[in-house]
Amino acid sequence: MKVIINNIEYEGLPGETLMELAKRNKVNIPNLCHKEGFEGQGRCRLCMVEAREGNKTKIVSACVYPIHDGLEVNTDSEKIRAMRKNIILLLLLKTPNNEYIKKLAEEYDVKAPERYMDFSINENCILCGLCVKACEKMGTSAISLVNRGTGKKVSTPFDDPSKDCIGCGACAQVCPTNAITMTEANGVRTIWNKEFKMVQCSICNKHYTTEEALDFIESRLGNEEEKVCDTCRKKIISEKFKESYKNIFGQP
Amino acid sequence: MASRKILVCCGTGCLANNSFDIYTRFLEKLKDTNTEVIPEIKATGCNGLCEKGPVVKILPDEISYFKVKAKDVDEIVSKTILKGEIIDRLLYFDTNSKKKIVSHKDASFYKHQHKIALRNIGEIDPKNIEDYKERNGFEALRKVLFEMTPDEVITEVEKSGLRGRGGAGFPTGSKWRTCSKYDNYPKYVVCNGDEGDPGAFMDRSIMEGDPNTVIEGMIICGYAINSNRGFLYIRDEYQLARENMQTAINNARKHGFLGKNILGSGFDFDLEIVRGGGAFVCGESSALMASIEGNVGEPRAKYIRSVEKGLWDKPTVLNNVETWANIPPIILNGAQWFKQIGTEKNSGTKVFSLVGKVKNTGLVEIPMGTTLRELVFDIGGGIIKDRPFKAAQTGGPSGGCIPAEYLDISLDFDNLSRIGSMMGSGGVIVMDDTTCMVELARYYMEFLSEESCGKCTTCREGINTMLNILNRITLGQGREEDIDLLISLSETIKDASLCGLGKTAPNPVMTTLKYFRDEYMEHIVDKRCPAGVCKNLTSYSIDPDTCIGCSACARKCPVNAIEGELKKPHVIHKDKCIKCGTCFTVCPSGAVKIGGGLIESYNK
Repeated sequence: MKVIINNIEYEGLPGETLMELAKRNKVNIPNLCHKEGFEGQGRCRLCMVEAREGNKTKIVSACVYPIHDGLEVNTDSEKIRAMRKNIILLLLLKTPNNEYIKKLAEEYDVKAPERYMDFSINENCILCGLCVKACEKMGTSAISLVNRGTGKKVSTPFDDPSKDCIGCGACAQVCPTNAITMTEANGVRTIWNKEFKMVQCSICNKHYTTEEALDFIESRLGNEEEKVCDTCRKKIISEKFKESYKNIFGQP
Repeated sequence: MASRKILVCCGTGCLANNSFDIYTRFLEKLKDTNTEVIPEIKATGCNGLCEKGPVVKILPDEISYFKVKAKDVDEIVSKTILKGEIIDRLLYFDTNSKKKIVSHKDASFYKHQHKIALRNIGEIDPKNIEDYKERNGFEALRKVLFEMTPDEVITEVEKSGLRGRGGAGFPTGSKWRTCSKYDNYPKYVVCNGDEGDPGAFMDRSIMEGDPNTVIEGMIICGYAINSNRGFLYIRDEYQLARENMQTAINNARKHGFLGKNILGSGFDFDLEIVRGGGAFVCGESSALMASIEGNVGEPRAKYIRSVEKGLWDKPTVLNNVETWANIPPIILNGAQWFKQIGTEKNSGTKVFSLVGKVKNTGLVEIPMGTTLRELVFDIGGGIIKDRPFKAAQTGGPSGGCIPAEYLDISLDFDNLSRIGSMMGSGGVIVMDDTTCMVELARYYMEFLSEESCGKCTTCREGINTMLNILNRITLGQGREEDIDLLISLSETIKDASLCGLGKTAPNPVMTTLKYFRDEYMEHIVDKRCPAGVCKNLTSYSIDPDTCIGCSACARKCPVNAIEGELKKPHVIHKDKCIKCGTCFTVCPSGAVKIGGGLIESYNK
């Protein structure tokens, strides 16, 4: 499948979206709600590009657009650039104090008219939905997008502490704008209005995950997990590699 | 003499005016009355002229009474039913011919109409399947099942040129054709009954007044595309529609029109009702399907069409209520018959709900291609108090404003989109010179900002930002550069939004800016609202040369802000005035003038 992006030809794979093809070939299409391994969502609209099919040009969102043979794409036309700036402007008006969005605005030379900027707004969430997707992928689905219009937000049912939440923090980790508050103090993690007792790493004693998250993983895998934090686990693995290397190639 | 029938309109509008009391009063009264032939009394669906309801029709005499009250029933029975006398007081007064009219069919409101989708409404009891059968009900289904192949059915619909009545105008036949080609089962048939545009009640009236035609249309489609299951998505607020539809489904099952082996043909099909949760966005097909599946009503990108992957990712045909209502007549009378009505590329009729500042508000069905002028002036009877026509909003909140210069435009899908508006589901809101176009645009943006599902940035944040700008303009804080920002945002929202709601949302702003830009500039530069609607930008004063000193304004003023001796010019005290506009409305000599707000203009 031949797809032309900005006058360069790429080989597309069946079933791929335009975003997946672009990422695979390191072609930059700006986006906020796409993550490898997740299905495209089409929420942030920053990935809008011009797609040419026959004599028609249409504007499509790359993260959900299925590619096909002969597709021609322009990711940087004047129209697209103007659109991108407006979308970033809208996000800036929604989250005027967010560092990530402020940087993005700077990068794309977006300046909001001063009289529309309300710096008292303390909002960081741009409703990209990645946290909800991550929670879904974990198999917990503790949070979802609730309400509609400008009242839309990410939350647990009725904003109550959720019985499904295991405090794994995947949501906070994927959030591009640092909008999810997760605090840790004295071996207790607090997220989504719920407190979790944390587990210590058996090697370095660091509090690294929650009891619920560990139980969840164990129940899924059906065996007991070693209580080892990410950093220590990496160390162990690299040690093992070193050993195998030695055994095969001898002392370096 | 053929048996007499008394038809009492029990559509939503008439019901709200106690028409059910009229119906029961007739039942009681006639029980005690000695007549040779006891008339049959029926509670029917909406007759369309809701403005003049409750409506009572007497057949075969062809006498129609309007604005009937329960206390009129005794008189109707004693005079009209027993003696054949006509009660002048209850007749329809035709504002065009200035005459009282005995049969509603001669009234200009009805004379110009051509009823296909509404053919049975007002004539039958929607809960009685026999009534529907008497008027060729389920004959189209019989014809399809026993005389036509699925392919022939689709060809007939294709040839008729029927386009989806939900708004976009996609050819119905080609939708069915594409869906029929996919070998992926089960397939589904869906009826979109989530009518949500402010001021629109076309689909509601059909579901309430003639539910069987929708059911018949859906079964026919099921046969054509080889589907055995259908869903009727009806918004929760439409209680009567849901009730009547459920009754009709139950009756159809009893009579063998739904269920296994329909009429012995070997074809199975059944239907169920899904209650919508009240979100406007669920009228969008992919959000509607998400809602039926039990998910949040959010649209998806439709690069892969519903006919290929719709409900539960299976091939699905979704049509609007009115589209379904057109199917049985097309099958029975043939594509050629349908094609003759309307215009070349827009065959058939369209149901409009005519509301706003027009004399005859109500439900009308007219051939495609009828002009806006005919709709507003011939059928609608013109503007209330004969004020000037300023604009009409078609297509609901996603549609656009049509100014007076386009009154002679013929109403069809293509013409309306050409001038920046759209057909939408068929709401027409008529406005006179007391409507502020900036406020109108602001109102629609407010509606849409609340009803946007919030999934995509451009729709959620874009509409809200446009609303903020319009709020500022109506409050007197607008600047000239706001117009540029409105236009730029409109373009982005139109191009980048995910679904039809967002893509069309800027229409009210774009069309009012296109046709009424001066009015925006008056708000921004002169700080004046010429219609007197935006309170911050309005002040009232009395022109001493025109004032006849009748004192009507002073008497009606709720805050006693007006002073003056009889037969001498009056004066409004601006410090007391609350700008309610009563003086402007009541002044018989046009002496009350609308001035600008008392805000300093922006002169930079």
